[in-house]
Amino acid sequence: MALGQASGNRLELAGVGKQYDSPGGTVQALADVSFEVSPGEFVCLVGPSGCGKTTLFRIVAGFEQPTTGTVRPERTTEQMNMGIVFQEYHLFPWRTVGGNIRFGMEQLDVAADKQRERTQRLVDLVGLEGFVESYPKSLSGGMKQRVALARALAVDPSLLLMDEPFSAVDAQTRRRLQENILDIHEETQKTVLFVTHDIEEAIKLGDRVVVMEKNPGRIAEVIDIDLSRPRSRTTPAFGDLYERVLDHID
Amino acid sequence: MSTDPKFEIDRGTESAEGDLSVRRRLVTYDYRRLGLGISGLFAFLLVWWVVSLSQPAFVLPSPPAVAESFSEEMSSGEMPTALRQSLRHWIPGAVVGTTLGIGTGLALGWSRLLDDIWAPVVRLLRPVPPLALIGFAIAWFGINDTGAAFIIAIGAFWINFYATYGGVESVSTDLLDVARSLGVTGNLGLLRSVVLPAASPEILTGIRTSIGRSWMLVVAAEIFGVPGIGARIQRASNNLQVDTVIAYILLLSLTFLVIDTLFRWIQRRLLRWH
Repeated sequence: MALGQASGNRLELAGVGKQYDSPGGTVQALADVSFEVSPGEFVCLVGPSGCGKTTLFRIVAGFEQPTTGTVRPERTTEQMNMGIVFQEYHLFPWRTVGGNIRFGMEQLDVAADKQRERTQRLVDLVGLEGFVESYPKSLSGGMKQRVALARALAVDPSLLLMDEPFSAVDAQTRRRLQENILDIHEETQKTVLFVTHDIEEAIKLGDRVVVMEKNPGRIAEVIDIDLSRPRSRTTPAFGDLYERVLDHID
Repeated sequence: MSTDPKFEIDRGTESAEGDLSVRRRLVTYDYRRLGLGISGLFAFLLVWWVVSLSQPAFVLPSPPAVAESFSEEMSSGEMPTALRQSLRHWIPGAVVGTTLGIGTGLALGWSRLLDDIWAPVVRLLRPVPPLALIGFAIAWFGINDTGAAFIIAIGAFWINFYATYGGVESVSTDLLDVARSLGVTGNLGLLRSVVLPAASPEILTGIRTSIGRSWMLVVAAEIFGVPGIGARIQRASNNLQVDTVIAYILLLSLTFLVIDTLFRWIQRRLLRWH
């Protein structure tokens, strides 16, 4: 499996807008959002609550259609593999850890022995050795999110799309998962779009940070993060970037 | 793999010892409950016996009289025959009603269109008691096994329909999104890979409820003259053989107990994850 090679297409959003009709009139959730994510790049999308980042996530994921603009490639029409990780894990509770990881491969009719081998590699990659036969109900939040990550990676996606994946776990687990995702990104070279409301997390993880503001939800600034990893938030450069992002969000 | 990421895992919830102590507590709890249940049963028998002493046998026979009647009916072969006849109504009735109920529940729970079309019909038919359809059963199938099975199937249908319908309605749309993102396409694919397993706790509860309810319907369905436990109860009751009536009621209870225990075991195995 192509765990170690750069894979995937460029993700392109052009003029994406979304309007909702509500009893109080039309709500402009997103206006003219355009940016690109290059193959192998790790882009974080950060913004205050209500800036439409979840809507944008759902549009990129193909769960919703934009009112205006385009997203390329489209998951639904172009049959691309997209690995999606949600904030609330959304594991299949009736499947074991291994069963969850295999789910996407079963849809792709991957041969059984290959499924087993790939599942084992992913279990090792996300650090869940010994839990393959466990059911999700017996796992902690952090472990569930590891399963969700492995499940998303199992289809060898050209894009890994993550919606506030670490915000439901405690601070310590969260720090560990952040380190893990960077290691995994380095190893797999997946293209990643990572949505978060946590500025520190965005700067720590992203090659670039797309900052959004609200009313209507639109891009305030796209910032290249030229800090070497691991990044410590105590350095002055980190602090400057933090302030710069915060300016838009306040 | 060139890099070997060493991840510490938050295994806080995975203490084997903790698991064990929980299990031990459950076991003692079960014994306690079993003891309480048995003592309740004895208290019930005792009250029955005491009350029966002051009553003539055709009003309330004593437990030993019932036991005697039970063993007589058993050894004469009448009781095994009645049980076999009733199972011949119950099994096909319950299987057909359950299958159709689950199928219809899946279809209407999943498809908004089908639901919109059929909801008024469902509302109209739902309050009809299965026994009110005995006339139809006789007209369509005659006074025979099929007619009795039909009544039972109707009862099983509704319970399974509503249980399944509710289960499908409560399937999380997020899980469906996940499945779609992992390549599941089409209604059948989603039903098979997500909806059915996600709704299985409700569906299995429905099946279990309907097993009991349709077993009760066996008696009612046979009262119009199809041989079986119900018909036998009817006959004994006409002859004021109350001890025989109770013996057959006991047979109903014991049969249900066996089937229900068996099904509960299956249910627990299927829902290990729950």
